Amino acid sequence: MRAIVLALSLTLPVGAFAQDRLPILTDTVNAHILPGYAALAEATQTLATAAQTNCDPMSAALRAAYHTAFDDWISISHLRFGPSEVDDRAFALAFWPDTKGFTPKALTSLISAEDAAIQSSAAFAETSVAGRGFFALEQMLYDPQFSQLGSEDYRCALIQAMAKDINLNASAINADWEVYAANLTSPGETSPYRSENEAMQELYKALITGLEFTAETRLGRPMGTFDRPRPKRAEARRSERSLRHVALSLTALRDLAARLSADHPDIAADLDGAFAAAIGRAQSLDDPAFEGVATAQGRFRIEALQQSINDIRAIASAELGPTLGINAGFNSLDGD
Amino acid sequence: MTSRRHFLAGLAAASLAPMRGWSAVGAPDYLAAALFPDGSYRLAGLDPSGDILFSLPLPARGHAAAAHPHRAQAVAFARRPGTFAIIIDCATGTQTAQLEAPQGRHFYGHGVFSTDGTRLFTTENDYEAGQGVIGVWDTDSYRRITEFSSGGVGPHDMRLMPDDRTLVVANGGIETHPDTGRAKLNLPIMQPRLTYLDQSGEVLEQVALPRALHKNSIRHLAVRADGLVGFAMQWQGDTSQHPPLLGLHRRGDAPKLLSAPEADQIMLQGYAGSIAFSDAGDTVAITCPRGNALHQFRVSDGQLVGAFPLDDVCGLGTGPNGFVFTTGTGVVGRLTATGAKIAVRSVCQWDNHLVPIRAAA
Repeated sequence: MRAIVLALSLTLPVGAFAQDRLPILTDTVNAHILPGYAALAEATQTLATAAQTNCDPMSAALRAAYHTAFDDWISISHLRFGPSEVDDRAFALAFWPDTKGFTPKALTSLISAEDAAIQSSAAFAETSVAGRGFFALEQMLYDPQFSQLGSEDYRCALIQAMAKDINLNASAINADWEVYAANLTSPGETSPYRSENEAMQELYKALITGLEFTAETRLGRPMGTFDRPRPKRAEARRSERSLRHVALSLTALRDLAARLSADHPDIAADLDGAFAAAIGRAQSLDDPAFEGVATAQGRFRIEALQQSINDIRAIASAELGPTLGINAGFNSLDGD
Repeated sequence: MTSRRHFLAGLAAASLAPMRGWSAVGAPDYLAAALFPDGSYRLAGLDPSGDILFSLPLPARGHAAAAHPHRAQAVAFARRPGTFAIIIDCATGTQTAQLEAPQGRHFYGHGVFSTDGTRLFTTENDYEAGQGVIGVWDTDSYRRITEFSSGGVGPHDMRLMPDDRTLVVANGGIETHPDTGRAKLNLPIMQPRLTYLDQSGEVLEQVALPRALHKNSIRHLAVRADGLVGFAMQWQGDTSQHPPLLGLHRRGDAPKLLSAPEADQIMLQGYAGSIAFSDAGDTVAITCPRGNALHQFRVSDGQLVGAFPLDDVCGLGTGPNGFVFTTGTGVVGRLTATGAKIAVRSVCQWDNHLVPIRAAA
């Protein structure tokens, strides 16, 4: 039996050729990942300070800081591996979709009970992820349901605790990435990625799952079905950021795709053309919260946007995947 | 708790129980769904050597199947979020009825017949509520009789316990909605459960994993003749972690989780596809198509006894002479004392599950 176990450990990924991936890995880490998380850490610091200065939900400075920090999060929200996954940090930054309304429930419960957990960062970090992060903060700033609930002092302290928690999480991810980066740029024995190919595959997976999330969840949830559109399921609709998230994520994914295909100019050109088409469609939509899903014409245009993202997915999996030794097994990709 | 005598009696009953209608027609030993070279999805009946006895078309990609206990009849399920299940006469290889999931429900791809054969139970999604349900169907008319809660979210595999009454359900914990395809909507708060229910839907026992493993989706099941339940899991958490993918549970006890030594475990990419006990019940195996491996464990002490490299292996069934497996590359093979042997290379790509018709599991 020993021999068989040994044989398994010698099995190599199918289709993997010895290629020098280091330039792409180094470039993606240094120009795509690290600046993205650094920007988020900085913007969330501004957000925490703004909330400390003025916690009024109508405060222009607070709302502007919220938008900038949320933009920076969406632009890296496809990088869901390593430091973002420690202690559910990414989920604590962005709990969405919220299919069962846990965020309003968590907020109502915190405010009604005047939960003292908001007085300490450590205690607040132990509370439900549904009551933390950008989506919980959005409801405190933009949902009339929470503008009058409980005492003004508690609501203010809650907004400040949320902003600080967001900043602590973003800073922790950023700090960990400074260390984690070497795993991608120096794969091998001491890295979770044993080869440059495995490191490339992690980044490719981020591209594919990012596209999938934007097409199927960011667009698919509000679209619902023709007979039953769900505009109230649009992401961050209260602050009218739904379409903005699609555009931001496509822009970020276009940058990632360009870097990953840098050594295959033909594929890079195909991908870039498809991204340009999708981003063009997003920019021509004048429907920030996807309310148009409820009308035939609005729906048609959002469906076209979704299709254009699916076109990118098709190119990525047909052209880019095979260059990275992605084994398209019938069952291994099934997920069932 | 179970006496050795009871255990042996159970084993004998399971392996010797006549499949009355089946035996008369030269029935297949296994059923499996597959993608054929012409692009069609079909359900196939296999003989012990892996040869295809019959195949018939499915409306879309299939997943698992269940055999009627004494009619030469089987039900094949759509892959989630499909809404069809078809009833097949295995003597003729023809479709005799088609089930449609009711409004607001879809199938998950698994189901089980009652021991007397009068009822079919199906795992389904009440997707507006985001809750699992068990559909109950009459097997004369194949009309729906009722449904009840599965006791969790995302019920996937389901088996009948050896008492012939209790259902055991793998509530995977993952919420999905057809509007968003197969997107997972609740990972940070998912709570997989192994749930025991009676056939009226009363929850008899709920088994949870330790808090740190709440993202380990319990998906597929095997039941030994003495009531020991094996469950295979799919990790939805951070890919740098390599938690156990196989668990054993006996009613009333805490679950026991089995893992290979680290060097083997990290190859699996957190994903097990199918699970089965050996015919003698002394070993349990999982297939791992992402890690291209089949892992076999000794039940008595939970130790890995073999890790077999097999490309895209997923279907797994108990066989009288060792585990039978299928792969997405078309292989039907058998695990013997001397290793994994390829019996046949079929022209099709075998889908997730291999369903034994006569064996105990």
